[in-house]
Amino acid sequence: MTLKTTISHAKPEERELARKREEQSTLEIELAERELRSANLRAEMGAFERRYLHFVGLRYAVLDDLKAEIAERLAREQPKNERLQRLARIARAGANETKSSAGENTKDEPAAFESSAEMKRLYREVAKRVHPDLTSDREDRTKRQQLMAEANEAYERGDESKLLRILTEYECSPEAVQGEGAGAELIRVIRRISQARGRLSEIEAEMQELLRSDLYQLKSRLDEAQQHGRDVLKEMIEKVEEQIAQANRRLER
Amino acid sequence: METRERSATRAIVPAGQQGLAVRSAALVARGLRDLTRDSNWIVKKIFAGHTSSLAISSMGHACFVSRQFRRAGEYGTGDFGQRVVLYDMEMNTPMIALSVPNEAAVGTQDLPATFAWSPGARYLVAAWGGWQSALHSFDLHGKMFLGTFGEFGVIPRCLVWSGTEKYFVEACSGGKGASLRLWRVRDDGMSPKGPLSGQPTSELSVPGWLERQTYESEFGEEGAFGGYGQTAFSPDEKTLASVIEIHGDWADDSIALLAVPTLKKQNAFQAQGHITDLSWTHDGRKIIYCAAGQAYSLAVETMNFELLPFGAELCVCHPHLPLCICYSSWLKNSAKGRLFLVDLHRMEVLDEYPAEGVVILRWNGEGSKAYAATQSGMAYIYEPTLL
Repeated sequence: MTLKTTISHAKPEERELARKREEQSTLEIELAERELRSANLRAEMGAFERRYLHFVGLRYAVLDDLKAEIAERLAREQPKNERLQRLARIARAGANETKSSAGENTKDEPAAFESSAEMKRLYREVAKRVHPDLTSDREDRTKRQQLMAEANEAYERGDESKLLRILTEYECSPEAVQGEGAGAELIRVIRRISQARGRLSEIEAEMQELLRSDLYQLKSRLDEAQQHGRDVLKEMIEKVEEQIAQANRRLER
Repeated sequence: METRERSATRAIVPAGQQGLAVRSAALVARGLRDLTRDSNWIVKKIFAGHTSSLAISSMGHACFVSRQFRRAGEYGTGDFGQRVVLYDMEMNTPMIALSVPNEAAVGTQDLPATFAWSPGARYLVAAWGGWQSALHSFDLHGKMFLGTFGEFGVIPRCLVWSGTEKYFVEACSGGKGASLRLWRVRDDGMSPKGPLSGQPTSELSVPGWLERQTYESEFGEEGAFGGYGQTAFSPDEKTLASVIEIHGDWADDSIALLAVPTLKKQNAFQAQGHITDLSWTHDGRKIIYCAAGQAYSLAVETMNFELLPFGAELCVCHPHLPLCICYSSWLKNSAKGRLFLVDLHRMEVLDEYPAEGVVILRWNGEGSKAYAATQSGMAYIYEPTLL
């Protein structure tokens, strides 16, 4: 029996439910695809940010610390000069802020984000099955939000087994079981469709915000230069290193 | 049957990641800024055309004479004439056009002008050929014209405030009519005319200690006294250094050291050639001056001079470090000149940058930046990482 035959013999609310389920199914695929794109962008930017802070940010922190040392030395040399005392305090506060922003120096070099085809497939599947905007049950939604957040983190880390586990766990959970009458189900599906559409708009807004950010501007400049054979991150490192050397020379005097 | 959506939370992005982006925002912006420039100098155009004179404040505000245009449909279209305008070099925005009561329209002729910003950038004293022959003072915080004082015969060569805004001096050329006038700045905030008004506290015309043949010869002739040129207060505001200009291509200018506020001569030093600029070092022990395209250092206590290993026509010392920003119209293998920083302890030239036609240099209030500008509207902002 085909879907058309089923629909033609069904009650009006059942026919409408079938249409809405089809619509929901299409939206689920689109939502999963958009979530994947958004997750990719966030993951790429997150990885870039970690690399930038590791290679450049930490050097800025060293430079600002040296600048603060220079300012403090000048202030010590002229203890009655109020302006120098103030500048030294400002320089030290700035150095502390830079140090806190740059984060801890880790031995491991942060890697650029890369995602395999299998990872993408798994993420799409998780987004389709677990997305919090594809349920109207309050408890189920909470559970899905938590799982989706875990899925995002797993995707960013490239943790394929975790994604698989999330998918399996949810498939086996009681929340996956559906039922009740066609009328109630129709309302639930309509609301899921509405939620999914809302989430699609949110994803678009989030992506636009990310694309407008300074971090994305910096990343695209570096990516663009890389396509022309220039390693701009390396150039930035060299520039800050030169400034650090200058500051050290000044301190040695 | 539950069909109502009760949860309003839709965020599925881990909060920790957003936190990281916010935390690193300043460092990312810094990297982006550093990426767009290849030196510590940032170059920008602040106006089109040409101006006879301009001054820059410690906040990076430029004051200059600019040609203004009416917009279409606004009481006729076309050239409005010239106005004295302010421009924010940091923000790249025009600020205000200064106007005075009964101001006559000024055509396209290039009239001389001299401006001086108070060190805090609140007050501006201006002399312009388009206004009556007196110094005009403005309060830029209150956006007010305060009034006029110090009537003059010729537009002053130089207007200067002392470091803590205690004194103000006007240096005029004009041979026999030349003068150096000093006002004590009122800081009581009581006068509606602002901190500067009335008669000068002290005044010097032709210096009595000049050799007789210099000031008694026919003015305008070779070797005659031309007037007062570049002038600068010492950091402790106790001494004023003023260039005594002598007419003639081969004549030598002098630097007079005068007591503040009496303007009594403390010392004088004859340079080699015409002096185009001078500036006190931050500790007040030396004066860096530029004469005939060469930079020199003059020890104030001994009056011994030293030839510095670089050429320069303009110089301005850092407010509290042994550094000096200079401009020379000559750059090796180039038609352009150069802006550069000099470490006065090591006599090392740093951060050289090609530039031409620079007419003014100044440090900002804290000494973390320096500004330079040309008569054709190019502005150079020096933003070193180590200051």
